[in-house]
Amino acid sequence: MSRHADAWRRPAARTLLVHCGWLAPPLGSLALAVLATGGRIPPGALITLAALAVSFAVVTAAGLIRWSRTRYRLTTDAFALRSGVFSRRQRTVPLPRVRNVDLTATPLHRLLGLTVVRAGTTATDGELGEITLNAVTVREAHRLKTALLARAGARAASDDVVLGRLDWRWLRYAPLTFWVFGGVGVAAGTAYRILDGIGVDLWRVTLVQDAVAELGDRALWLTVPAAVVAVTALGSLGALAVYAENWWGYRAAWTGPGTLTVRRGLLTTRSITIERSRLHGVLLREPLLLRAAGGASVTAVAGGLGDEEESHARGALLPPAPRPEALRVLAGALRAPSDLLDSVPLVPHPRAALRRRAMRGLWFAVLPATLALLALGASLTPALLHAAWIHALVATAATALLARDAHRSLGHALHGSHLLVRAGTFSRDTLALERSGIIAWTFSTSPFGRRHGLVTLTAAVAAGEHGYHIRDVAAGDAVALAMAARPGIVEDFLEPPGRPERSPG
Amino acid sequence: MSLHSTPRLRPPRHRVDPLARRWWAVQALLTVSGPMLLTALALGLLSALFFPGALPWLAPLLLVTLVAPALGYLLLMPRRRCATHAWELGTHAVYAAGGWIWQRRRIAPLSQVQTVDTLRGPIQRRYGLATLTVTTASTAGAVEIAGLAEADAEELSRLIGRAASDARTAPTGLAAPVGGIGEAAPGGAA
Repeated sequence: MSRHADAWRRPAARTLLVHCGWLAPPLGSLALAVLATGGRIPPGALITLAALAVSFAVVTAAGLIRWSRTRYRLTTDAFALRSGVFSRRQRTVPLPRVRNVDLTATPLHRLLGLTVVRAGTTATDGELGEITLNAVTVREAHRLKTALLARAGARAASDDVVLGRLDWRWLRYAPLTFWVFGGVGVAAGTAYRILDGIGVDLWRVTLVQDAVAELGDRALWLTVPAAVVAVTALGSLGALAVYAENWWGYRAAWTGPGTLTVRRGLLTTRSITIERSRLHGVLLREPLLLRAAGGASVTAVAGGLGDEEESHARGALLPPAPRPEALRVLAGALRAPSDLLDSVPLVPHPRAALRRRAMRGLWFAVLPATLALLALGASLTPALLHAAWIHALVATAATALLARDAHRSLGHALHGSHLLVRAGTFSRDTLALERSGIIAWTFSTSPFGRRHGLVTLTAAVAAGEHGYHIRDVAAGDAVALAMAARPGIVEDFLEPPGRPERSPG
Repeated sequence: MSLHSTPRLRPPRHRVDPLARRWWAVQALLTVSGPMLLTALALGLLSALFFPGALPWLAPLLLVTLVAPALGYLLLMPRRRCATHAWELGTHAVYAAGGWIWQRRRIAPLSQVQTVDTLRGPIQRRYGLATLTVTTASTAGAVEIAGLAEADAEELSRLIGRAASDARTAPTGLAAPVGGIGEAAPGGAA
């Protein structure tokens, strides 16, 4: 550490330029508008420009004041941040409380050689539990990270235990995960909104009109499949691009005995560090399509990574990759043998759980659409009546298959210091949760569950999604499972032995 | 299925205050049943005044979609909640049961307790009731006890606070503090 380590410092002055980044979209769309109208500035645009100038002045002034009022200090035992314009706030975090450090740089940050430093602490998740410093130079960020994690046992990168590195062959899994059709829809909607915003009415453009008329004249059996193929291709390309952007240069490793570091990103680079004692488990995700192709992704169940959504994004340990690779990374993160998940037989859940899944499918997928088609068919055209029974047959068959798969997915087991839980069909998730991380138990029942002896057990953890469900366990086994998985919680409240069973509810 | 050897949870010992039923009824009337009944009344009146021809099909429709659910909720919900809601403070943990259609029982060890909050809403205050929330480091581990008498809530909050600080200073060896890694992993006891 330098001898100036104890001095109050300012964020890098270049940060002020980052705050101007919001100007890009409106200026861009304005430029597009000027281009689209052939050099003439539309009258609406002048007002926009004036509004932009005013808000630019205000935002820049605010940014300057905020920047000049922000200071941070790293001493040998604490990290402190002073901020706030009207109400001054100083937050001090003792270094032993720092549990993870993330370095994130958006393209704009990288252009300016800056990085955002975020330090998560042991405090309850949320804004109070973290310090975010936006932004410092890359060198300063790395100095801060090393110093902040010195207590957590981070060491030089030379003796890292590497868990995973990017293999470009994994790109083939990208189209199976990204919401291909939805992605294209979102992109198209955004483009339309932008065009609409700059005053281009798509339906008035003769090119578009001609194209639509042309397509309408041709046989539908040709144009519809062609459109589907085009959308799929576009969506897949988008998925590849997203995958590459997110996972470029991916490397996950134990940096020292106590910290797990994941580095990734092409335009926005991320470096996420998780402390061993805050890593309470690992989640293996196998969405339907990815599972069919033999792939899986891995997410860490760790505390201090922010709220549920942030935690999910920051906790990613492995992109969609071959399942054996995923199992290896999962075991490496848990420091367990690599056959952890596949070698342990899971206890299946009762058949009533299967019935529950089938009923759910019938109620939500089969019945509403069938009834709607029947009603429409009765009042409009008999052709829809045929659609109704075809839909009923197909949807029932699909429901039966999916329900069976969902039921087969269900399972739980105790293995060493971990609780294993698997569930889901659209996304089959297998959780390996550290048993010592469980801090409360919840037993929930639905009316169906009370009739058929099913209980959903929820393990509360101060990490990840906070509540992890073991769905539809046999009511008779739930308490025993909770006691075995995490003793010392439910024992006070047991029915005295030998008492006949009470009626449920 | 009922093996006598399998451990079962018993319901918590203490019921909620009898006034809680009235509180829940008022709440139902103000938030769900009241608005639904008023909507049904307004639609029925408007129809009777301006479109009398629509009444024969509108009246049954309103009865089924608005009036019956509103009355059902108003009559059933408070009664069911009174039957399920209960709480108990054990030596090592706090236990609460709640809900009416979807019911849940939650148990959190005292060594994990972070804060104890008492909330008195405007309607609750009228009936001298309070809701006690015991939070832990996990948002899925917060134990909520609704419909306590104010004096009971205060007493309970004091008891839990003291028991929690006792549990933390003298760990039972079973419940490690948040993020604890000191605990030896028990062998696979499935």
